[in-house]
Amino acid sequence: MITYVLRRLGTGLVLAVLVTLITFLLLGTSFDDVAGTLLGSGATPESIQAQKAHMGLDRPVLTQYADWLSHAVRGDLGASYFTAEPVRSAITARLGVTLSVVLAALLFTAVISVALGVLAASRGGAVDRVAQGASLIGFLVPNLLIAIALVYLLAIKLKWLPATGYTPFAEDPGSWATSIAIPVAALMVPGIANLSAQIRGAMIGELRKDYVRTLRTRGVPTRSIVLRHALRNAAGPALTVLSLEFVQMLGGALIIEKVFALPGFGSYAFDASLQGDVPIIMGITLFGVLLVVCVNLAVDLVNGWLNPKARIH
Amino acid sequence: MRIRFPLARPLSRVAPVAVAGAVLLSTTACDSQSGDASSGSGRTLSLAIIGTPNSFDPAQLVEGQQTYVWNSVYDTLLIQDNEGRLVPGAAESWEYTDDARTLTLRIRKGMKFSSGTPVTSAAVKATLDRIRATPGASQIGLAAVASVETNGDHEVVIKLRHPDGSLLSALSGAPGVIGDPKTMTSKGSALNPVGSGPYTLDKGATVNGSVYVLKRRDDYWNKKAYPFPTVKVRVIADRTAALNALKAGEVNAGSVEATHLGALKSSGFEVTNVEATAAGVLMLADRDGSKLKPLGDVRVRKAINMAFDREKIVKQILQGSGKPTVQVYNPKGDAYDPALEKTYAYDPAEAKRLLAEAGYANGFTVPMPSLVYTKPFEPTITQSLKDIGITVQWETVPAQQTNSAFISKKYPMFFTMDGLNTAPIETRNNFSPTGTRNVFGTTDKRFDALWDQANTEVDPAAAAKIYQKINAFTVENAWNAPVFYAGTHWVTKKGIRYLGDGSSTFSTVRQFGITGQ
Repeated sequence: MITYVLRRLGTGLVLAVLVTLITFLLLGTSFDDVAGTLLGSGATPESIQAQKAHMGLDRPVLTQYADWLSHAVRGDLGASYFTAEPVRSAITARLGVTLSVVLAALLFTAVISVALGVLAASRGGAVDRVAQGASLIGFLVPNLLIAIALVYLLAIKLKWLPATGYTPFAEDPGSWATSIAIPVAALMVPGIANLSAQIRGAMIGELRKDYVRTLRTRGVPTRSIVLRHALRNAAGPALTVLSLEFVQMLGGALIIEKVFALPGFGSYAFDASLQGDVPIIMGITLFGVLLVVCVNLAVDLVNGWLNPKARIH
Repeated sequence: MRIRFPLARPLSRVAPVAVAGAVLLSTTACDSQSGDASSGSGRTLSLAIIGTPNSFDPAQLVEGQQTYVWNSVYDTLLIQDNEGRLVPGAAESWEYTDDARTLTLRIRKGMKFSSGTPVTSAAVKATLDRIRATPGASQIGLAAVASVETNGDHEVVIKLRHPDGSLLSALSGAPGVIGDPKTMTSKGSALNPVGSGPYTLDKGATVNGSVYVLKRRDDYWNKKAYPFPTVKVRVIADRTAALNALKAGEVNAGSVEATHLGALKSSGFEVTNVEATAAGVLMLADRDGSKLKPLGDVRVRKAINMAFDREKIVKQILQGSGKPTVQVYNPKGDAYDPALEKTYAYDPAEAKRLLAEAGYANGFTVPMPSLVYTKPFEPTITQSLKDIGITVQWETVPAQQTNSAFISKKYPMFFTMDGLNTAPIETRNNFSPTGTRNVFGTTDKRFDALWDQANTEVDPAAAAKIYQKINAFTVENAWNAPVFYAGTHWVTKKGIRYLGDGSSTFSTVRQFGITGQ
């Protein structure tokens, strides 16, 4: 097990090096543009060259990458070309904002989807039709529209929740919860639509299997059959969908962060890409790869814990 | 003879307060009676801006909306007041020698950095030298400076390689800030600035890239010009989010799009329309025709100027937020001449005639960079030029390549939307042989003569007349094809008022006042 985890982490590190190298090589073609953006409308060919030399961007690209990598392995990801903010602390702070929203949305997505999916599959009839209808609506309505509607109602009209901004948990847990409430709601709707349909399908499949009939004949209560046996077996594919939802939510967080003016990872990455802020783009790429590797590994481990057949020996 | 510029009006030191008082006098009673308890000196200005402030290193400051933050922390040698006049800042007076090659600034006594260190001429010299030696956006403002010397603790002497009419304007902006020599070279100054300005950055409450909280200094020399004890600057890039923040009461000042004004007015917000803060200009950069021969012919450039129905563009694309123009200078500034606006009426038939006369009856094709901000205007530009026989080929350029694309000389024409500046800086950028928007470096003997006069003229009133002549010359010779001025709609909560009218487009918290004070 430990060997497996270490092997996966090792593969992740190799992947991170390859992805960051490719990213750096691609960025290497636009160093003139970075210097030009920094200098603004006052840029001249001469000042761009001076700026590049000042920033060390006139060195060979591979030398620069080696320099970046040698610092990165020591935990130094450099500083933003534009704000001079250290990349590691900036990303950590912004990742905290994004993960607050995404993990909360993921948690609610999982809980509500399991409840909806299990109810729809085990009860059938009107409950199933309502759950399917709700799922369809969740698929069809873009989360941006949901966000705008919620802001209008809850923040502007009723003034129950803030329309924009973020309060760190450590500063005020209550304000933290209200500051992420609408973004979380907007982010989890498509996730619930997707995951509840997945769980419903998987549960219906499980409940039709022979072992369920056997359990019924042996007098095992329906509640136990559904929750302890069928759900456990149906959870594997659902977990895979959940991990994909996580990645999708990280992407969706970009729009949500913009709409709610949250100082998160997504909007930070977006702005850095527009400006060509190389140290930030590299740091975000590295964190992004490692995050996806870790989430996928965690999902595989949870999957193995839930389903003995999926365990790695 | 030495011409002195002490402050034409000693009272101008408190000009912002005076302006605020004058403008607000008529509304005082009304606001007082409204019972708005939040009005008064305890109020926080909570301002929404679009872009994240760059580094606070004095050598890396960038002008634009982020100026609201750094201009609160740092003093500048001169100040551009809300009426666009240059008035004393950290320098209480200044004077040029006759040949305009030496500028002497007298630094105000008793000023201190927030660290407690006195502001001296040595600090001014250290900052100016650092800006000159460090690549950055401010460097161009001090390009003419040959040396900076101190004469005692409170006098700075700047010697120039050649006269520079834009230097005083530059010293009211980022190139004129004063950093604390003890800290400004350290890495920490980029995030935790030490200045002598009216506010200090509250690092505990500030979240980089998101919220910047500024606390007013009680010992500031011009405290009266800054009525807000606390200023909170929030970076909200999305216009809808900024609107929501205004409506929800999370910010109390910000700029919005014209379409939202009605709803905000009816919700009790105060709206101030500034008619011109930026200019939409089709730069006819290759005026010598080195890359695109037709542009070397003044008849072709005039034809291009006649191709645009400017009124319609302002009405339909800008939704009335702006006004048509054929000039690049601030309409509230000294160089602007309303009479010039009649130079190029919309007349496609005459434009085609001029093109035919120049030998281009069949028109020609021109590549232009398609940029993020040009998208809304591209169909109109394409159609307007097509109507007179010119075909535009748009080439997509990513946002971060904008400046590189301009200076690459790949594009003989390109569309810009630059913020308006003072006449000397507009002239330097747009028309001087080394101007940043004059990317082909074209010039003309008649312009050169006027430019030399403007640079050596140390009397502002006389210089203004020369800039008017430069304006007339560049319009009449169709050096560019300006299309419109774009305006800004400022929205403030009851009790707060935007004091600017566009005379100054410098972003500073001095532009906000409290009604009733």
